[in-house]
Order: sequence, then C-alpha cells, then structure tokens
Amino acid sequence: MTAPFFKFGYFNDEVSLIVAFVIGIFFGFVLERGGFGSGRMLAAQFYFTDMRVFKVMFTAIVTAMFGLFYLTWIGYLDLSLVYMSDTYLVPQVVGGLILGVGFVIGGYCPGTSGVAIATGRIDAILYALGGFFGIFVFGELFPWIEEFFVSTHMGNINIPTLLGIDYGIVLLLVLLMAIAGFTGAEWAEKIMANKKKED
Amino acid sequence: MLLKAYAELPPRKRIGIIAIILGISAAVIGNPCNTTQTKVNIKEVALKSEKDVDGIKVNELAGWIIEGKMDYRLADLRNESSFSEYNIPSSENIQIGSLTKSDLKRNDKIILYSENDITAAQGWFILKAADYKSVCMLKGGLEAWKNEIVFPQCSCGDNPSEIQKQNHQKKEEVAKFFGGQMETGSSSTKVAKKELPKLKAPAKVNLKRTRSKKKREGC
Repeated sequence: MTAPFFKFGYFNDEVSLIVAFVIGIFFGFVLERGGFGSGRMLAAQFYFTDMRVFKVMFTAIVTAMFGLFYLTWIGYLDLSLVYMSDTYLVPQVVGGLILGVGFVIGGYCPGTSGVAIATGRIDAILYALGGFFGIFVFGELFPWIEEFFVSTHMGNINIPTLLGIDYGIVLLLVLLMAIAGFTGAEWAEKIMANKKKED
Repeated sequence: MLLKAYAELPPRKRIGIIAIILGISAAVIGNPCNTTQTKVNIKEVALKSEKDVDGIKVNELAGWIIEGKMDYRLADLRNESSFSEYNIPSSENIQIGSLTKSDLKRNDKIILYSENDITAAQGWFILKAADYKSVCMLKGGLEAWKNEIVFPQCSCGDNPSEIQKQNHQKKEEVAKFFGGQMETGSSSTKVAKKELPKLKAPAKVNLKRTRSKKKREGC
C-alpha cells in the first residue's frame, strides 16, 4: 500500500470526506487542548509575551517534514502526488500580509476561529462572520482583481527544485532554522517577562 | 556513559538531539525519491504476464479515442523523429530512459506503445518496478495499430453476411477517422509498404484531457 491513499484510489470521494471530517475533529481537538482556542493566547505571540503558537506551529512543520521525507525514503509515500498549490508570488505575499494583519487584529486565524467557535467564544463568532463578509466582498470584486490574482505565476515549484538542492539539505536547514527560532522565542519571552516585572 | 548523559538531559533537549540526528541523516540521504534502485515483486510481475491482464487491444484504444475518453496517458516510446512522423492521437513522446523522470504519475492509467511489443514490455517492466500502479501495453504496438485500425484488411468474401457487412463498414469508418482506408486490393498491394497518413489529429477527437481538470485541494 502506498500513500496518498486517496490518490491511489484506495477510497472514493465520499469516504475521503468522512476521513477529512475525522481528521478535522482530531485536529480541532488538539488545537483547542493546546490553548489555540483563545484569541489572547494567539495574539500574545505578536507581542512576544507567549510564543506557544510559534513553537507549536514550527514543531508541526518540522514533524510533518520529517514524516514526509522518511516515509518517501522507505517507499511508503509518493511525494510527487502530495498536493502542492501553484506559486503566485506577489498575490500570495499580499494575501499573507492581509491574513497576518487580520490575525493580529482579530486574534485568530480561520482554523483557530473554528476551534474557538466550538467552545462558544463570541469574539470568534464575530471574527468568522467578518471572514465570511470578506469572502463575499472578494467574490464580488473578483472580476476587477482577477488579473492581479493570477499574476507572477511561477508554476508548481518548491525550494529544492528552485534552488537545485536536495530535499535532505532543505530539511536540515529548516530544522536549524526551527532550533534557532525556538531559542530566539524563549529569549524574547524571558525579556518580555522581565520587562513586565519591572513595570 | 553517553546514554546516561543523554537520559539525564531534559526532554526538549533529548528531542532536539534526535531531530538533529534525523536532520543530518536526511542531508546525507539527499533525495528521498531516488528510484534508480528498487525491489521488484517478481511473482506479481510473472502472474500479470501469465494472465495477460496488462495489455489493451488496438480497437479498444481506437474506441476510447473516438469517444473522447481521456482518463489515461498514452506514451509513445519511439524516438522523437519517428514520433513526429506519425503517432497515435492523444499520445505523448516519452523516451524509455526518461520514463520514471517524466511527469507520469504513479496513479495514472498509463498505456505504452512502440513499433512492437518488445520496447513497450521493457517500459512496462521499468514502470512496474518503480511501483506505478496501472500500466499496460498496447498489444502489437504501432504495427498492429497500422494493420488493424488505419489500414485494416477486408475479411469479407464474395458473399458477405449481414454481420460481416456491418463489421466491414465499421472498420472502414474507423480507418477513415484515423486518416486511413480499408485494404481490399490484391496481394501485391497488401505486400507494398503502407504509408501512414500525414500527422494530424482527427477532427472529431476531443483532445482536452479530463484529467487536467484540477481538483481544488488544500486549505
């Protein structure tokens, strides 16, 4: 048996929806238990007072990266069939900035707002309504921004193919980046905690 | 000694050390998708060859092309010049040496053909060894395509039955569709080398691939 199971036809569209639902429930549960259902906690990372979100997200990236690499290496996973969206450089940078600003202002990202809604948080419900309104506005404005939306298309690229280096080297570099990030985050947390004490 | 020192470290540092070891190993491994060396399940390959399940007939393929069915990848394994001279509609030219490096996916339904069965069989074995799930060969290759689809022989005698007449008409229409014609002439014309039609896609074939329609995925 080789993964991704859906791509190899081990189950159909209907079953894939059930699988996605079950995985989604577990994902939401873990996020909530990790404290990601609190807007204060999520926004705290931008003030360097609690870097839990950064650490958890980077740990998730590194774990998934190791999983994909070694499962491919032992022949259990076909990496070429793992979905990767095309790169539209400028629109994606702009989209990322909008998401980041929304994250700082609202205290949630789309996924964590869903988690917070599940626990009945009113701010998350308003956040999600704002998100839906944004989707509506985007849909209505799409004919005017379509040209920008599909601009700077770079195709289906990733760092190893773009730079011509091995996946393993990229993995090691990202790991080193994560370790440096964790150290930096803890250092920032300590500084902010001392500052708070002084105040 | 080392193990004892490791056990005394806090959990986060222990995890960090394991991650660094795995990271350095990954850098040494380099590319995880290196498929130049693989293990082959010879029993499975032998069984498939014995049962002859990984081959499709030329008339079956012709039917798919006429219907516009495009849920497969048809790979022409001949060289570039032969391919540009003539190829089966909807095919793409992939040299046997670059089969596993091409954009063929492991979950694609792949049909291989060449002049004859030998090259296609070699390609089939390479892809099977590289764990491509659905690979088959065009039985008889381009030679069969030429003789049975583009220039089929008329098999009716002097007094053909109704069924024979219908088959004849069907063959003629198919041959015409692919730019050929029914061969009804004497033995001398049968022996003469048949020139394949000039390369052009048949008018009715919808070459739009359904598989290219990307499913929206991701978050």
